Amino acid sequence: MKFRSQRVSYLFFATALVLLVLQICFGFIMGFAHMGFDVLHDVITFNVARSSHVNLLVFWLLSGFMGAAYYIVPEEADRELVSERLAVVQWAGLVVVGVAAIIGFQFGWWEGRKFLEIPRPLDYLVVVDILLFIYVVGRTALSAERFTTTGIVLLLGLTSAALLYLPGMITFDSQVIDSYFRWWVVHLWVEGVWELIMGGMLSFLLIKLTGVDREVIEKWLYVIVGFTFLSGILGTGHHYYYIGAPEYWLLVGGLFGALEPLAFLGMAMYAVSMVRRGGMDHPNKIALFWTVGCSVMAFVGAGFLGFSHTLPQVNIWTHGTIITAMHGHMAFWGAYAMIVLAMISYAMPNLTGRKRYLGPLPEWAFWTSNVGMIGMTGAFAVAGIAQVYMERRIGMDFLAVQEAVEVHFTGVVLAAMLLSFGIGLFIWNFVQYGLPSDEALERR
Amino acid sequence: MLTKGQARTFFVGGTLFFSAIFLALTVDTLRQMPERQNSELMTASVVRGKMIWENENCMGCHTILGEGAYYAPELTRAVDRRGEEWIRIFLRDPQAMYPGRRKMVQYDFSEEQITDVIAFLGWIGQIDTNGFPPEPDMAPAVVVASVPAASTGPRPAYFDTICVACHSVGGKGGLVGPALDGVASRIDAEYLDRWLANPQAVKPGTAMPNLGLTDDQRAELVAWLVTLQ
Repeated sequence: MKFRSQRVSYLFFATALVLLVLQICFGFIMGFAHMGFDVLHDVITFNVARSSHVNLLVFWLLSGFMGAAYYIVPEEADRELVSERLAVVQWAGLVVVGVAAIIGFQFGWWEGRKFLEIPRPLDYLVVVDILLFIYVVGRTALSAERFTTTGIVLLLGLTSAALLYLPGMITFDSQVIDSYFRWWVVHLWVEGVWELIMGGMLSFLLIKLTGVDREVIEKWLYVIVGFTFLSGILGTGHHYYYIGAPEYWLLVGGLFGALEPLAFLGMAMYAVSMVRRGGMDHPNKIALFWTVGCSVMAFVGAGFLGFSHTLPQVNIWTHGTIITAMHGHMAFWGAYAMIVLAMISYAMPNLTGRKRYLGPLPEWAFWTSNVGMIGMTGAFAVAGIAQVYMERRIGMDFLAVQEAVEVHFTGVVLAAMLLSFGIGLFIWNFVQYGLPSDEALERR
Repeated sequence: MLTKGQARTFFVGGTLFFSAIFLALTVDTLRQMPERQNSELMTASVVRGKMIWENENCMGCHTILGEGAYYAPELTRAVDRRGEEWIRIFLRDPQAMYPGRRKMVQYDFSEEQITDVIAFLGWIGQIDTNGFPPEPDMAPAVVVASVPAASTGPRPAYFDTICVACHSVGGKGGLVGPALDGVASRIDAEYLDRWLANPQAVKPGTAMPNLGLTDDQRAELVAWLVTLQ
C-alpha cells in the first residue's frame, strides 16, 4: 500500500466476509425449507431467514464497497485519508447497525418491505453512518491536489446510493405507491448507482492490473456508465408493469429494460479488451481472474438472465416466480459479490505484504464458487420454468406445484454446497494473509 | 475518435435527460393513481390491514402484486379466489387447513385484525394491474381429460368457497382431502352430519378441521353431498 490509512479497508473486508458466511447460512435454511425440510419453522421462520439473507447481502456488499473506497480514494487522491480514526468509528457504526438489524429480524423487528426490511430507527442510523463515510472519503478527495475520474465515478456512485436510500424511508398508505418508490431505492441502486461503484472499482483494478493507459480506461468508463443510466433510469419501468402503475410503463420499461444488458455487455468487453491490450504481466493473476470474471458473470447474470424475463409479454407469466430468484442470484454474484472479492484479492497482498495469491488455493476458491453459483442458477431456472408452466399457465394448485419442484431445490442446495466450499477456501486464504502491516508500505 | 471530454458529456447529458423524463412520468403516474388504485375504497380498515401486512412481513413468504418471496401463494386475487369466509377460517389456524404440508406461521390474529387483512387484500384485488395475474391459458388443453361433474342440484356456495380448498368434485378442487365424487355411495347422510359437526369426535386425529358450521349450513351441505352418487 502507498498510504498507511488504507489499512482501514481491512476491517471492512473482514466484516464483509463474516456477513457473507451468515448470509449463506440463512440461504441454506431457505433451501432446505423449499426442499420440504422446514425443520426450523418454529425457531427461524421463512420470512426471518429471507429478510436476514437479503439484508446481510446488502450489508456485506456495502461493507465491501466502503472498504474498497477507503483503499482506492487515498491512491486516487494521492494522500492519506483525512482521518483514519473517523473511518474506524464509521466501521464500528456499520457493524452495530448491521448486528442490531439482523438480531432484530429474529424477533420480528422489521418493516415487511422487500429488501428494505430494516426498521425505521435503524434507517436513521444507517443514514448517519453513511454521511460519516461520505465525509471521510469526500474530504479526502476535496483536499487533494488532483482527483481522478475513477475516484469521481466511485464517489458519485456512493453518494447517490446514500441519497437514493431516502425515498425508501417515506411512509405511504397505498401499497402501490409504496412499491413505486421502493424501486427507486432498489432498482436505481442495483441497476444504476451501484454500477457506478462497480465501474469505478473495475476501472481502478484494470489500471493497476493491466497497465493500459489511464486516459483510455477512464474514457470508456464514462461511456459505460453513460449507457448504464441511459437504460437503467427508465428501465425502472420493468418493475412497474403489474403493480398498478399506468400502462405506458409496459412500453417504457420493456424498451429500456431490454437495453440494460448493453451496459453489462460493455463492461465485459471493456474488461476483456483492456486485459488483451495491456502488456503488463502482473503477478497477482487471481485478482485478474476475479476482475474479468466479475465483468463476464455480471453480463450473464444481470444482463442476459435479466433480459430473459424483462419483456412484459414474458414477465406477465414469470413475475413473482422462482425465475426472479434465478436471475437475482447470479446477478448479485456476478456484478457485486465478485467485484468485492476481486478488490479483496487485489488489496490483501498490498496491505499485508504477503504474496498468498500464488498456489492452488485461491484458484480453487475462484472456480468452485463460480461453478457452484452457475449450478444454483441452473437449478433455480428449472424450478422456475416448471413453476411458470404448471402454476401460471395450466393453473395447478400452488402447493402441488411447490411439491413438484422440491427436487430441483435439492440441486440448488447441492450447488450451494460447492459455492460454500469455494467461499470457505477464499476466507481461509484471507486469514492466511494475516493483518495489514507497516512493512507493506511502499517506499516513497 | 471519441475524447474523454465527449464521453463525459455523453454520461452527464444522458443522465440528466433520462432523469428528467423519469421524473415527468412519475408525476403523471401519481396523477393517475387515485383512479387506478380506487383511492375511494381505501378505508381505515384497508390501511390497518397494510400495517399488519408490513409488521408481520407477509412479503417474506408471499407475493402481492407479484412482489415478495416465492415460498407461499401469490395473494393479489386471494379474495376473488377463496372468498372472505375461507380466508377468515384459514387465518384462525393456518396449519389446520393444510395438515402436514408447508407451514404458515400461526399469528393468533384477533377477528378485527383478520377483517383488516381481508379488507386490505380485497382492495388489492381491485387495483388495475394491467392484467396481472393472467388467467391460465393452457388449462383447457389439460382439463379435457378430467371427469365431468356428477351432481344434481345446485352446489352450496359454502362448498365452492371453503370445501374445494381441500376436496375435489369432478376433477376440480384441492388434493388434501379425498375427492368427493360418489361420496353418497360410500357414506350416508347421518354419518356426514355427525362428521361435519365435529370431525375429531368421529375420527380422532383426522386432518379435517372443525369449520364451525351453523346447523343450516351443515344441513345444506349434507343435502347436496348425498346427491353425489
